Amino acid sequence: MDMSGIFAALLAVIGSPYHLLLLLIAVPTGMFFGAVPGLGGKLGIVLAIPFVFGMDPLAGAIFLVAMHAVVHTGGSIPSIVFGVPGTGPDAATIVDGLPMTRNGEAGRAIGAALGASAVGGVIGGLFLLAILPLLRPVVLAFGPSEFLLLALFGILFIALLSGDSLIKGLIIGLFGLMMACVNLDPQTGSQRYTFDQLFLWDGIDIITAVLGIFAIPEMIALGVAGGSIAGRRAQGSNYGLSGVIRGLGDVFRHWGLTLRTSLIGAFIGMVPGLGGDAASWICYGHAVQSSKTPERFGKGAVEGVIAPETANNSKEGGSLLPTLFFGVPGSSGMAILLGAFVMLGITPGPELALEGMDVVLTLIWALMIANVLAVALFFALAPAFGYLSYVRGSLLIPFVFTLTYLGSYLSQRAWENLVLLTALGGLGYLMKKYDWPRPPFVIGLILGPIMEDSFHKAWALWGPAFLLRPGALSMLALIAVSLGVYIRQTRRSSTEFPHAA
Amino acid sequence: MRSGINVLVLGAALALGGPQSAGLSSFYEGKNVSYIVATNAGGGYDAYARLIGPYMEKHLRADHVIIRNVPGAGHLVGANTLARSKPDGLTIGTFNAGLIYGQLAGNRSLRFDLRDLSWIGKAAGEVRAVIVSARCHVTTLDDLLAASEPVNFASAGIGSASYVDTLLLAEALNLNIRIIPGYAGSAAEMAMLRGEICGLVASASSVENFVGAGNASYVLTVGGRIEGVPSAFDYATDERARQIVRLVSMMAELGRVSAAPAGTPAARLADLREAYRSSLEDPALRADAARARRPIDPAFGEEVRDLVVAALDQSPETIEIIKRAVASDAGRASLSGRNGHEVELASATF
Repeated sequence: MDMSGIFAALLAVIGSPYHLLLLLIAVPTGMFFGAVPGLGGKLGIVLAIPFVFGMDPLAGAIFLVAMHAVVHTGGSIPSIVFGVPGTGPDAATIVDGLPMTRNGEAGRAIGAALGASAVGGVIGGLFLLAILPLLRPVVLAFGPSEFLLLALFGILFIALLSGDSLIKGLIIGLFGLMMACVNLDPQTGSQRYTFDQLFLWDGIDIITAVLGIFAIPEMIALGVAGGSIAGRRAQGSNYGLSGVIRGLGDVFRHWGLTLRTSLIGAFIGMVPGLGGDAASWICYGHAVQSSKTPERFGKGAVEGVIAPETANNSKEGGSLLPTLFFGVPGSSGMAILLGAFVMLGITPGPELALEGMDVVLTLIWALMIANVLAVALFFALAPAFGYLSYVRGSLLIPFVFTLTYLGSYLSQRAWENLVLLTALGGLGYLMKKYDWPRPPFVIGLILGPIMEDSFHKAWALWGPAFLLRPGALSMLALIAVSLGVYIRQTRRSSTEFPHAA
Repeated sequence: MRSGINVLVLGAALALGGPQSAGLSSFYEGKNVSYIVATNAGGGYDAYARLIGPYMEKHLRADHVIIRNVPGAGHLVGANTLARSKPDGLTIGTFNAGLIYGQLAGNRSLRFDLRDLSWIGKAAGEVRAVIVSARCHVTTLDDLLAASEPVNFASAGIGSASYVDTLLLAEALNLNIRIIPGYAGSAAEMAMLRGEICGLVASASSVENFVGAGNASYVLTVGGRIEGVPSAFDYATDERARQIVRLVSMMAELGRVSAAPAGTPAARLADLREAYRSSLEDPALRADAARARRPIDPAFGEEVRDLVVAALDQSPETIEIIKRAVASDAGRASLSGRNGHEVELASATF
């Protein structure tokens, strides 16, 4: 791969008015599918396929990749403004995004989300360009035993996301893991806690769980308190475009974090099997862990918005690689993209590396440009989204409730989920009211099945020796170091502030 | 992950012209037809429905044919939803014919008899293939038949159609394999690239690219032919084995089926079958299918129903095997093959 090839591919995108026009259409479309809860990028691609069917293969692929690239940029907006995640991977953005809105910093949070998404997307793309020669060995180094330990690593973050009380966090995290056991046992096929209800066979729907635990309690609390999401005290404090610009600046002020979470996200995307939900929560956990002031998180720390938003955009770039080169999709969205590529006449697989390198490079550029374009297009609109946080609760609550119930229904099309949503909403409200941390629940629910499934496979394949595989040993070392750092930090803070512990 | 579902109208997307089918009643004019797909958007069943839907719309002269994705529980939710729908000819659906295994095993979650559905037709079969990874020590069929150590095969979850297919073939051909369940979709291909999994029983079309890229090779087919690859029938040495292979073969032949709920009025069903036939014989559909690389090999109406009925007529012995595969305690069972080979189940180790 030579430099001239890389720039020829760039020229293929920006040198063609037709391709640029397609990007201009694809970006708002993708953001729309992200911003409406329950729709998501997969559906976006399925719906776009008839439109790209007759296009020239490269143009069609550019359109689809660009559209899919910015789904989570759009998904961050309802997470921040209403606490309703547009897509699953945008759920982690709520934890600090919504408190920022409540503090009157909606504009700043949206600015940070837009900026983080764009930077994440671009770094993800650059990472792809850099890793192309090493792709195969890196991706193949991750099997069931490494997945198991990576999930375990993520679950350790529960301790960090517990807020003031570790015990409360552990209880909620274990409760989440317990809820992750509601499904057909992947090993024996027997029903576990499903009460013979078909809608529980595939486990508790993540979108429903997240909407119930985060969105509904916020609306109940808003109704109880009255007023608007951004309280009166916040009125006018950080209004309009200046807030958005400040948010964009935050992304660069925390450049170390931005860079790290972009790379982690791209990496998780590249290894098929972990998924976007895991990527954003692991990066959120990392932001808390690496912060000097972890106590600010959950109360409106801008890093809490930056980390998951860089991750969920950069992992899209990551998952493009195995899709194109192995013909093995890195995410379910990519699985559909794979089908679309075939339909367009681009055959993913190793031969693409030999004959279709220009196509791959062009698509990587399209992905990066779409991410930047998303900010440019929505920069001016961002303050308008921010104003929504000043809408009176009595006007906003019915609208958000409708969105919440619709999102839950659309995600699996099972009415039973609405009952579950209501129950989890009640539970979430109690947790909020009595100050129990909510993120550990979602982490348990998302990482539990990955851990269980990988454990079964690793054990069946290698027995206890799975822990001695090279990848597993390095993951174990990573876990040990993180634990050590955490314990030292807690010790130090408890000696410095004996009353805080 | 599990998001992304919809009701959507494809009609506007594709401009379809051309002559319409003769001999159809005017019942469907100005009406909407729901086409239930028992999976999420994306994937084979969805692709076929979205391919056929617009042509059904044209040939039925319906207002719209609306694709409804009703995923969950390995096609059970969608199939039950279809069976429960009002049999007025305005709801049809497509799902994995593998549910036949569930009915044979007496799965209570299948809340209707597949024989009773109003079968419309099938768009294509799904030839099953046994493939082995290029990284595996077992590279040919002879290696596989002679393996003294269990060979790792991936499958989807226990009780899934892919799991039952694998187990049935292993029983019939006396293969010394260990099934590692829980590999959904492309995860099995990744595992073969990493080298932890040796082989796979899959629909040939789903692994075509993977094999074409030199990552694995076909060693055996069931329910159709692949150039230069032997058929499982050639290795089924006795009547019991032939019976089992015939069942897997019938499932493969059924492939992408579509049906309406039980009790759909005969005239409506006749219209649906007629429109389905006209759609699948429409040169424009064939051209679309070729571009999407979706093979079309249709069968219609009674022919499909007869296949379903025949597949559901199995010897008690075969049903026993399926029951063991689907039953909830399958994980602890260890099945003895005929020559003392054990079909080991991975979870039997703990």
